[in-house]
Amino acid sequence: MKERRTPSVLKRVLLNCASEAKEYGRCIVERVPEIEKDMCSKEFQALRACMQKVTTMLQRSYRDQSQVVISGSGALSHVYIQQPPWRCSIPETQGIYYDDGNKLLLSPSSDQVLSWKIASYAQHDPPSSDLFSEGPVLSIRYSLDRKVIGIQRSNNEIQFKNRETGATFSRRCKPESESILGFFWTDCPSCDIIFVKTSGIDLLSYEAELNTLRLVEAKRFNVSWYVYTHESRMVLLASGMQCTTFFGYQFSSGGIVRLPKFEMSMVKTEANQKRVLAVEDVHIVTIYGRIYSLQHDKAGMVLNMYRFYRDAVVHQGSLPTYSSRVAVSVVDNVLLVHQIDAKVVIIYDLFHDSLAPVSAPLPLRLRGSSGNLRQGVQLEDNLTSSYSATIYGDKWTFLVPDLIFDVDHGLLWKINLDLDGIAASSSDITSLLEFLQCRKSDPTKSKLLCLEIMRSIILERRPVSAVSMAMDVLVASFSHFVKFGAVSQGGADRRASETDQSSSVQPMETPSRLCTDSMSGMMNSGDLLKQEFLNRAETNAQQRMMVENELSNDATTSVIAGAQALSFSGSDSDTNLETRTSVPEKYDNSVTEARRSIEGERGAETSDVKREEPALQTEGLYRAVEPCISNYLGSQFSTSAISPDEMYHFVFAIIEDEMGGDPSYLVSILVEYLRSACKEKLKVQPNLHVMMIQLLARSNRFSELGLFVINKILEPSKEVALQLCESGHQNLQTRKLGLDMLRHLSLHHDYVDLLLQDGHYLEALRYARRHKVITVRPSLFLEAALSTDDSQQLAAVLRFFSDFTPGFKSTAEKERYHQVLAELS
Amino acid sequence: MCSFARNFKRSTPLFVMFLGSVRMLLDKQPSGELARTHLYFFVTDYLTDFKTGKRIQFPSFRECLREQGTVQMLTISRDMAIEIQSLVTLLGSLCGGITMCNSLILFEDLLVSTTLSPDDTANLSNYGVMRLTPHALSSTSSSWSYVRMSKSASNVSVVSGSPNAVLATSHGSWHTSRDTAPGEEPRIANVPRPLQRDKWTKGVDGFLLNDGWVTSSGPGNPAVWLQHTEERLYLCVYQYKSLTLILLIPLSSLVNGEQDIPLVKKQLLDNASQKIVNIEEKLSRGWGGENAYHVSGYRYLLVDGDRNVSRASPAAKVNTLSKDSLLALNKLREEVDIEKARSKLDNPEHEKDFEACIRARNNAWVIAKVSRGKELYMALEKASETLLYASDAMEKFSDR
Repeated sequence: MKERRTPSVLKRVLLNCASEAKEYGRCIVERVPEIEKDMCSKEFQALRACMQKVTTMLQRSYRDQSQVVISGSGALSHVYIQQPPWRCSIPETQGIYYDDGNKLLLSPSSDQVLSWKIASYAQHDPPSSDLFSEGPVLSIRYSLDRKVIGIQRSNNEIQFKNRETGATFSRRCKPESESILGFFWTDCPSCDIIFVKTSGIDLLSYEAELNTLRLVEAKRFNVSWYVYTHESRMVLLASGMQCTTFFGYQFSSGGIVRLPKFEMSMVKTEANQKRVLAVEDVHIVTIYGRIYSLQHDKAGMVLNMYRFYRDAVVHQGSLPTYSSRVAVSVVDNVLLVHQIDAKVVIIYDLFHDSLAPVSAPLPLRLRGSSGNLRQGVQLEDNLTSSYSATIYGDKWTFLVPDLIFDVDHGLLWKINLDLDGIAASSSDITSLLEFLQCRKSDPTKSKLLCLEIMRSIILERRPVSAVSMAMDVLVASFSHFVKFGAVSQGGADRRASETDQSSSVQPMETPSRLCTDSMSGMMNSGDLLKQEFLNRAETNAQQRMMVENELSNDATTSVIAGAQALSFSGSDSDTNLETRTSVPEKYDNSVTEARRSIEGERGAETSDVKREEPALQTEGLYRAVEPCISNYLGSQFSTSAISPDEMYHFVFAIIEDEMGGDPSYLVSILVEYLRSACKEKLKVQPNLHVMMIQLLARSNRFSELGLFVINKILEPSKEVALQLCESGHQNLQTRKLGLDMLRHLSLHHDYVDLLLQDGHYLEALRYARRHKVITVRPSLFLEAALSTDDSQQLAAVLRFFSDFTPGFKSTAEKERYHQVLAELS
Repeated sequence: MCSFARNFKRSTPLFVMFLGSVRMLLDKQPSGELARTHLYFFVTDYLTDFKTGKRIQFPSFRECLREQGTVQMLTISRDMAIEIQSLVTLLGSLCGGITMCNSLILFEDLLVSTTLSPDDTANLSNYGVMRLTPHALSSTSSSWSYVRMSKSASNVSVVSGSPNAVLATSHGSWHTSRDTAPGEEPRIANVPRPLQRDKWTKGVDGFLLNDGWVTSSGPGNPAVWLQHTEERLYLCVYQYKSLTLILLIPLSSLVNGEQDIPLVKKQLLDNASQKIVNIEEKLSRGWGGENAYHVSGYRYLLVDGDRNVSRASPAAKVNTLSKDSLLALNKLREEVDIEKARSKLDNPEHEKDFEACIRARNNAWVIAKVSRGKELYMALEKASETLLYASDAMEKFSDR
């Protein structure tokens, strides 16, 4: 943003100070070549003053703009790596290996193997080490239970060591007919380790007692090279002259799935020269629980994408590439294609099977550690200059799914999405919101961005239809979250696969054991949740309890719905493994979400308090609100879905203050929001209805207000009814609607109270008698009757209370009014 | 003739809406010629609705469960209402600029949505029912639905022959009167005749056109005045199947005056047609037809005076009541009207509440209840003996 701004600032300065600049220029031209000190100083001062004025003015306007639109992150980028990197440079190592099954970075030295856990990137644990005999190392992989360590020594020998007993053994192949390409451990029930050899694959199981491997099954075919990621549990074995024929297997804990043999296509070149597909050109990625393979066709400059189903491999299209070297990472289900030669990243969100990039290609950025924005930028500049030589350097290795390892420097980076940057550079609000709603890695951030985008498009008075579409996205996302909260991605995935063109095709098998585990876990936490609601409810006022019960019902239904969805998918077994394993975590989200919605009221109070602070001028507003939102959100949730509560408190309530003026636009927006919410069967905040009444009353649209109430567009509630009565001070019909609503809601006390206020004491009395309302003080009725100066009426009311209210006869009130009556008559 | 006077009085707001007040016309031309011509055409056009043969037929006691001049509303579900409101927003934005333009939506003869004040709504929707709804467009006879209903009920016996024959003669007689009228009167061509029959036609694009509309400066677009607003508003009517949308476009919002109206129409077609189709489909699916608001066992009329809205038992059901009940009810209503007028004189601010249950000659209960601006009239023929029962039945009905 900053870079982009510079030329335009200069241009605008020159435009605004054109006359001063001309004057100064003329002065100089007249005197040159005689140069002296302070020549044309008067003209120069004028020019300088003008320029200063314009720049400060521009700065101010930019500041305002960036506050209203999106608080940009300084430089323009959408993917960054965060300083400081994770360092593991140990001298005298023989290279670094990555064990993706255990998320270990392994570094063998002369007699030992150092291993770093990088599962939690933030934590920097000292490496653990295993002693190992000296020798060449081709690859190292720990077994998934970490009991055995396997080291490939050469292309025909793999050495194993039991870490508990220290016993070692080796396994060799026949060197004359085959060689070992590699191996990996698996959690597949029938075997523990897979050897990939040029003659096929061996499925072996580890016998702990004998400390040896037993061959379970061998599959024979020619293999040139292979690709495996533990994340997808899938191995692709290349064969054929050009290495374009593939066999695929998935070794998941649900069993072994054999994919049909398939071909990857390559563009033919004119010459007879046969190009061979290389191992670095094929990538396996897991996105939204779906498994894809990406094949880089260097000659064709495309990245072909294949999606794997249980019984089919479907070519999904191709992405253009702009570099002879391409690397692929997946961050938070977003596909990043690094165009290494061009030093840019292109990002794709494949959720809706769209192959359009999310935004324009931009360079990968090295971002400084925290600190305020300006410092950060400066720091970055330094860093980049010191490191710039190596961004996309030759020695960069891209680790699955989202890590970059700089072999030369022993630095490990985690790739992050810069949601701010993406939001700032995208103009299509609807798809941007869709994109942000799908991001799970930093839900707070994406939620804040969504709220901010929402606010700004309304404040900018975008067309109602555009705002309505944007709200549809948010509401649909929340409703989806509520319905499938526990299995949010799995559900989405299922839906997607159902609507997929090849709907008969099912994705991969998944473990049912995991599923039941997480289900029982869910049930337990569901009970806990209920318990919590009940505990809370006991301590609360009655009405509040009602609200919460409702919520707890909602929550339990959502839990049950989630469980059903889960069991459904379990029996159907059509979701991928990766989504399943993430189930418990997702469920936590929904628990906190439910709790959060309960606490919404409390949050609302704090935010109201915030709002009443004096810093409510346009400029101060966001600064005042933002921390409040972050506090409120940060403490207790982990979803980017925006609930109706939040929609009210952080969008509409804030905007209402800001908009002022003619409220009809906001009313239209609110109606659209109600339509959205109604479509998804969501309840909106009652305060939203109250706000609508205020807006309509403010613009004197009472007849429409009446229609809104009669058609129940404004859902009946006590708040709404009381607001109607209040707004009805200017309009009798509206007040009547409010009273009627109170009566329909059986809020007898309030109804009688208001009737009395309006002087309808007889009707109030009649109503009180019929509905046994005894909470309204008799003196109010008597006072009202007295004010009519009609002794008969007063007598009647007095008699009424004497007859029907036990104990009234002995009260002082009776005496008093009796006396009054005597005086009157 | 009392009913004639009352009926005639009811046409006044329509006159004012289309032609402006008589005072204004007199100001324009103090000789009164203009006002007289306007009135002449207007009244003759108005009366054609009540003509059967050579006679003018006015509502009789059989219409005692009707409240003329009020609007009947369509009851819709919440999501439907929101969807319609969304359409109203869209229509409102068509005028461009900051001001939202007003609109009124009818489904068949029933009001669905309005942004106008109750009085204007009543006037415009009554006009819509008379001349604009699909029914009004297709039928050559009167389109006051209740008049039509009663006519077919009462006239079949009076004029022997089928109702169609009656309608045909009415139609014919009108033609002669229209043809002769301009001949007799001094020819003033430039008089808009909003109530002239058969002038509205539906164009291929779905918009209704009035080819006979003339203003002082030649043919033009129909326009109206609303109460409390000084501005003239163009009437733009779009019809899709049973749904009639009346859009009021303020003169000031159009940069080039009437020439911009096609622009607004095009916008409406571009932006709103999908919504309109959806809404029409859902409304017709959900509508219960003529007898939708029948409550078995009751013959009722519910009037909300504040909003000019009424709801009543379907005419066919009312006609099953015996003459005695109807006469009694008629009488009761007269009494209530007198009482209402009196209390209004006494204390215009305070609304009087009262109720009456009367046993008619044929042992039916005739009930009136006025409470907080709402009036309920009903006839219970099958109610049993006691007053308590009748009053219970009324309570039960009121709580619905």
